[in-house]
Amino acid sequence: MENSLGHRVIAASSGGLPVVRADAICKRFDATIALDAVDFDVRPGEIHAIVGENGAGKSTLIRILGGVHRPDGGRIFVSGKPCAFASPHEAIAAGIVTIPQELRLVPALSVAENVALGVLPVRRLGPIALLNRTRMREQARAVLEQLDFHADVRRPVASFGFAERQLVAIAKGLCRESRVFILDEPTAPLEKREVERLFSVLQRMKEQGTAIVFISHQLHEVVAMADRCTVLRDGRVAAISRRGAFSVTDLVGAMTGRSVENIEPVAAVRGETVMATRPDSITRLELRAGEVIGLAGLLGSGADRMLRRIFGIEEPIEVETRGGGRSFKNPRDAIAAGIGMVPGERTRGLVMNQSVRDNILLPNLDILSRIGWLDRKAGDRMVMALMDLIDIRPRAPKLKVHTLSGGNQQKVILAKWLAREIAVLLLEEPTQGIDVAAKAQIHALIRNFARRGGAALVNSSDLGELARLCDAILPVRRDRIVGRLDRAQGLDERELRAAIGG
Amino acid sequence: MTHRSRLAGQIPLLSLIVLCAVTALLTDRFVSPLNLTNILVQSSIMAVIAMGMTFVIVGGGFDLSVGSTAALAGCVAAMVMLEAGITVGVIAGIIAGALVGLANGLVIAFLNVNAFITTLGTMVLVRGIVFLLTGGAPVSGETGLPGEFIAFGSERLFGIHYLVWAPMLLLAMLSFVLQATPYGRRVYATGGGREAAYLSGVPVRRVIASTYVWCGALAGIAGVMLAARLQSGQPTAGEFYELTAIAAVVLGGASLHGGEGTLYKSVIGVFIMIVLGNALNLLNVDSYWQRVAVGAVIIAAAAAERLRSEH
Repeated sequence: MENSLGHRVIAASSGGLPVVRADAICKRFDATIALDAVDFDVRPGEIHAIVGENGAGKSTLIRILGGVHRPDGGRIFVSGKPCAFASPHEAIAAGIVTIPQELRLVPALSVAENVALGVLPVRRLGPIALLNRTRMREQARAVLEQLDFHADVRRPVASFGFAERQLVAIAKGLCRESRVFILDEPTAPLEKREVERLFSVLQRMKEQGTAIVFISHQLHEVVAMADRCTVLRDGRVAAISRRGAFSVTDLVGAMTGRSVENIEPVAAVRGETVMATRPDSITRLELRAGEVIGLAGLLGSGADRMLRRIFGIEEPIEVETRGGGRSFKNPRDAIAAGIGMVPGERTRGLVMNQSVRDNILLPNLDILSRIGWLDRKAGDRMVMALMDLIDIRPRAPKLKVHTLSGGNQQKVILAKWLAREIAVLLLEEPTQGIDVAAKAQIHALIRNFARRGGAALVNSSDLGELARLCDAILPVRRDRIVGRLDRAQGLDERELRAAIGG
Repeated sequence: MTHRSRLAGQIPLLSLIVLCAVTALLTDRFVSPLNLTNILVQSSIMAVIAMGMTFVIVGGGFDLSVGSTAALAGCVAAMVMLEAGITVGVIAGIIAGALVGLANGLVIAFLNVNAFITTLGTMVLVRGIVFLLTGGAPVSGETGLPGEFIAFGSERLFGIHYLVWAPMLLLAMLSFVLQATPYGRRVYATGGGREAAYLSGVPVRRVIASTYVWCGALAGIAGVMLAARLQSGQPTAGEFYELTAIAAVVLGGASLHGGEGTLYKSVIGVFIMIVLGNALNLLNVDSYWQRVAVGAVIIAAAAAERLRSEH
């Protein structure tokens, strides 16, 4: 049987041999076990989803399949033959294409050049190879038309939006006749209509016998699209099920390993208001001493932006603190008003090539300053006390922070703010990419900060984390807070998902 | 901190000691008082420029304009001195240098223009201004620069040249600024991770701009010292100083990525450059080969720094 594209249609789904099979893959980074004997496979004409909480090992798994990391144990088979990829290049040569979130296109080059990059059509003049531009454009146009993408292929990639660029990245893989496509959170930056278009493209590729692996945090997409779903939890396969045999609730249960109900309730001691947006503001937000409040929203909802706006990094929101009402033009103003921030990426929270000590002292230099110079001894005492208090290991203040594990790095960022008397702590994705034990410690630190009279505002894409950690959760849509779910009334993840529109 | 990394931090000093020892074994003339004094005086002006360069490089930047700035400062100092006396002249020279630095700093930090291009531009532009000011001729007036100023360029205090005292005092003062003040720690943090520093409340733009002001002012001081030594403001003075200074800072272990390096080690780097040139001269190495050797040493030092930072 042949389809419109002239490809032979391979009997879809579950029938064939796995085109890629990973057998008992293990991977550790320093002390952290990222993957522990994980089995995974994908067959021709199958869409296989990978879900899991942050830090569950999803990214590590696809990086191993894509040749970025090498496994410490276990084997990978491509079409039944054992393979060991030394580089992403070898994985691509074996027909496995990974499309990362950042796409990795060359923005300044044309669509045609990007699609053809790696397999440039050439015309030979004796020993000289010349680029055959006409063929390159035709090739690119043909592949892109399969994807329902009709545009001038001579335009630079930079002139297109994300959704179109994503199609260019897929076309680049199709051009190489790749058999396996791995997509890392392909729908996260897309709008609803663009998601539908992407899914119809993936559906067609699947019908042509391509194997597709994708990571998603949008569980309803997984339920709608995937023929099979592998749930990872803390580096192990927590569940694997076929289409029709799983629901969103099942996936959440398998991901978190506990249902949302059985969490120890936190004594809610609500103190005075320490920060609030102006009464006339479109975003009603009030933080009281002793509270941990979550901000939940889909990507692009503005939930993550709201923290940056309070802290003065993006278009400022007017807030009232103990010092009066104002908007902060930069982080320095916000810090002076008693607000601290733990950014989502640790490279933004830490100066990586400097010591633990220097990092902890950085926002506190003003406190330690004695008529122009630093009180070195007071600084050392402050650092040692904090390292003991929040258990940063090893207890070596002169160690450069890039040598620390992710969990300990995150603790150093917290230490920066705990050193001074801040009233409000803003946290972006506080436990992204760190192991379970450190995760629990970070949660305890945040709760302790609140118990001692601070107020924390947390944004996380991990709704389970928010449900476990927060006294109340504020769903955000289009830069507005659209409600409030209190722990007293029970924080239900499904309800929360509905509230944020997911 | 491990024993090994502490040793690695002393590589510049160890290299200098080995270099001196080998040269001393190969030729008697190296350890003669005349030659050692000569090395100190030659190093003094470059050391002042390299200290300014260290501020900029630790802050994550780069400055190619220091040679031209030194020439400007020397000529301005000489011209003003002839009219208004030594003190005013010296201050005018240093201020001229600081202003060039301020211009660099404002463009780089607040307009986000690439540091390499900006200072390449000011390097050429400032040199042009120097020629416009002087008409291309050395500035020494009809009767020469004031005698006391010239004495500063050649006389000694307690057996050590005034020219050598200057960088010693500056090294002590500025090391304190970089190591022991909140401002200094902010320079390191800004160079090592601009975003992280910003989110920790550091006014990163102002910090970056300030490093160029230090660099310009120090190039100004170096220019004034050079004018004293040459007994005139020379419009062509200071050419290629920027390259020697950058090489010295990197030899001293600073990272061009920013956030690493110390003034003291940069001065060691200056000594390595000067002693190497001196040794090759004493050993009668062909001057063409000298260039090849110096270039190779710079690349080797940068490669060694890369290898060290990858472990």
